[in-house]
Amino acid sequence: MNDHDTLFAQLSTLSASLVLLFGIALLWRRSLGAYIKAFRWQSLVLSLAFVMIGYFGHDPELYIIAAALLALKVFIIPWYLTRLQMRVGTEREVQPYVNIATSLIVAGLLVMLAYAITRPLVMVSKLPTRGAIPLAVGLIFVGLFVIVSRRKALTQIVGFLVLENGIALLAALCTYGIPLIVELGVFLDVLMGFLVMQIIVYHISSTFESIDVEQLSQLKH
Amino acid sequence: MAFLLLLIPSLVAAALAATVRPYRKFVGWISAMLSLVSLGAAMSFALHSARGGEAPVFGPGELLRADGLSALLMVLVAAVASLTLFLSPDLERETNYRPRQLRWYQLFINLFIFSMLLAVSANNVAIMWIAIEATTIFSALLIPLIRSKTSVEASWKYILIGSVGIALAFAGTVLGYFDFVTLSGRAENALNWPVLLQNAPSLHPEVMKLAFVFLLVGYGTKAGIAPMHTWKPDAYGEAPAPMVALMSSALFAVAMYAILRWKVVADSAIKDHYTDRLMLTLGLLSLTIAAFSIVLAQNYKRMLAYSSVEHTGLICLGLGLGPLGVFAALLHLVNHTAAKSLMFFLVGNIERKYGSPLIKQVRGLLKVMPWTGGLFAAGMLALMGLPPFGLFITEFALFRAGFAGHHYWLMGTALLLLLVAFISFISQLNKMLYGVAPEGVTIGENSGWRIAPMMLGLAVLIVLGLTLPAPLEALLNQIVRIVSR
Repeated sequence: MNDHDTLFAQLSTLSASLVLLFGIALLWRRSLGAYIKAFRWQSLVLSLAFVMIGYFGHDPELYIIAAALLALKVFIIPWYLTRLQMRVGTEREVQPYVNIATSLIVAGLLVMLAYAITRPLVMVSKLPTRGAIPLAVGLIFVGLFVIVSRRKALTQIVGFLVLENGIALLAALCTYGIPLIVELGVFLDVLMGFLVMQIIVYHISSTFESIDVEQLSQLKH
Repeated sequence: MAFLLLLIPSLVAAALAATVRPYRKFVGWISAMLSLVSLGAAMSFALHSARGGEAPVFGPGELLRADGLSALLMVLVAAVASLTLFLSPDLERETNYRPRQLRWYQLFINLFIFSMLLAVSANNVAIMWIAIEATTIFSALLIPLIRSKTSVEASWKYILIGSVGIALAFAGTVLGYFDFVTLSGRAENALNWPVLLQNAPSLHPEVMKLAFVFLLVGYGTKAGIAPMHTWKPDAYGEAPAPMVALMSSALFAVAMYAILRWKVVADSAIKDHYTDRLMLTLGLLSLTIAAFSIVLAQNYKRMLAYSSVEHTGLICLGLGLGPLGVFAALLHLVNHTAAKSLMFFLVGNIERKYGSPLIKQVRGLLKVMPWTGGLFAAGMLALMGLPPFGLFITEFALFRAGFAGHHYWLMGTALLLLLVAFISFISQLNKMLYGVAPEGVTIGENSGWRIAPMMLGLAVLIVLGLTLPAPLEALLNQIVRIVSR
């Protein structure tokens, strides 16, 4: 392995770790503002990671994707989230289903699980970025965990966005980005999905006068 | 050209609904007529394929492709879409929807239909993913069309579970692509299904196993395979009935299609019946959960949703049983599409008449609405797998495939579970058909000419129960050759 590849490998592990850390940060914060901030920083680091992979992997397409990611996830979506938060009230995540200490332990276990299941991937790959692949899968699991363990609809949306970031990171690390047309289609879907979730949150807050999903429990049998 | 005729009509209808405001009835009629164009195009693909023609491709980078499997799905989706648009609430004499809601309905149902048709005609598996994700988005907006606490709850659960599931399917797609890139470097068309399949034998089995688990969980969530089925009863219980007819038959078929596409690639890479075992396990689990949930159901829409989970289980079993099973499962899918869409159109009639989704409120259906009630009873018997309906034949073929493959315990358990489901269906159906109608329910049909298109579904079920038309058989054989190479 030459110097170029060593540096590439180190940088990709570093950036993937940072992205994962911002995901785990969700688990020890309570206010929605902090959630949005963590997501914003995570997306910023993620787009820098795309630029870095584009530079070392010699793929200029990734610059376009990084720019789209920056616009969408650092500016547009956080702006909508903040507006949504102001409209439906600033309810704090006071009592999540799983408390903070346990959440952090679970997150640690999930990252270990990610290392276990991605072993075959890391073994077959010759890419300099392979060392960081388990971190991306770990982030996917952490995003899932945020969704199932938190009670506010808005927090669940942020969990979903973090999960999406995990998948984007995975795609970048594994394949230096999927073809551009596909990537842009995915961004369009993320944006539309987010907007629809936002509409439904408005519905929830106007029909239930709260965004605590605990109240969404009328449908049985 | 035929691809354009397939895809453009629903876009035109959506654009029309978006531009004509306030809503006018002619929009609904035009959109219904346009859907017949799509159906014609789908039929032409199916006939071409049944005659053994090469799969046509279209667009830059062979964007769209229609082999036998795609063609079958195109026909299913386009046929149910057409029925749904003809039976839409806006074409009724009196409707309890406001013009704003009808406009919203026409806009999103057409976009929903467009994304399903795109999903089954896309050649690139990532484009297929994008289209399936779009179906979640468009359909989630239609569930709370009539705003209530329960419909909002259902739509939230639907979009959250659906989006997470589909995101995992994307992770699976990325892992599959990763394996390809590891072997042969990056290529623009590497995600095209035929290219993927051609290179599949050299992919790493271990990586492919991981990718397939992600894909099965992801698309399985959309198909409502247990244990990822929890959104199904909620969404089917709350969405407008014609919309549910589309979701329970066409959307379900599209999700199974995505699983099948990837299963073929995975089988070619893994080779030790790994995917078959997964399908059989999840199939049996779905059957078990469905059989016992039907007993507890108090709401007939939710009861039919559990019946969907049951048939999902049967189709999964079939797909895991080799070529004979695949043939049975595909034919079962066709029959199920006809039966389930019929049932949800009828449910729309029943709900309007009785004003309640609860089984205990619906009494004396046969007396109150003889046509609807009769069709409902026939549809139920078909779903239970009784002759002379098509589902009887396909269930029979499915079990024969299972016993021929020496899966005695598995098939025996499945038979017992079908029996449990059968008994609970009979008792629930009895409660609804007979007895004295509640106060205030007037006797008489409420659907006029609209009962005629519903009969089409029943006609399909009976025809497929008595015979297997030659073109359909040729098409199915064509697909079995694609799937089990």
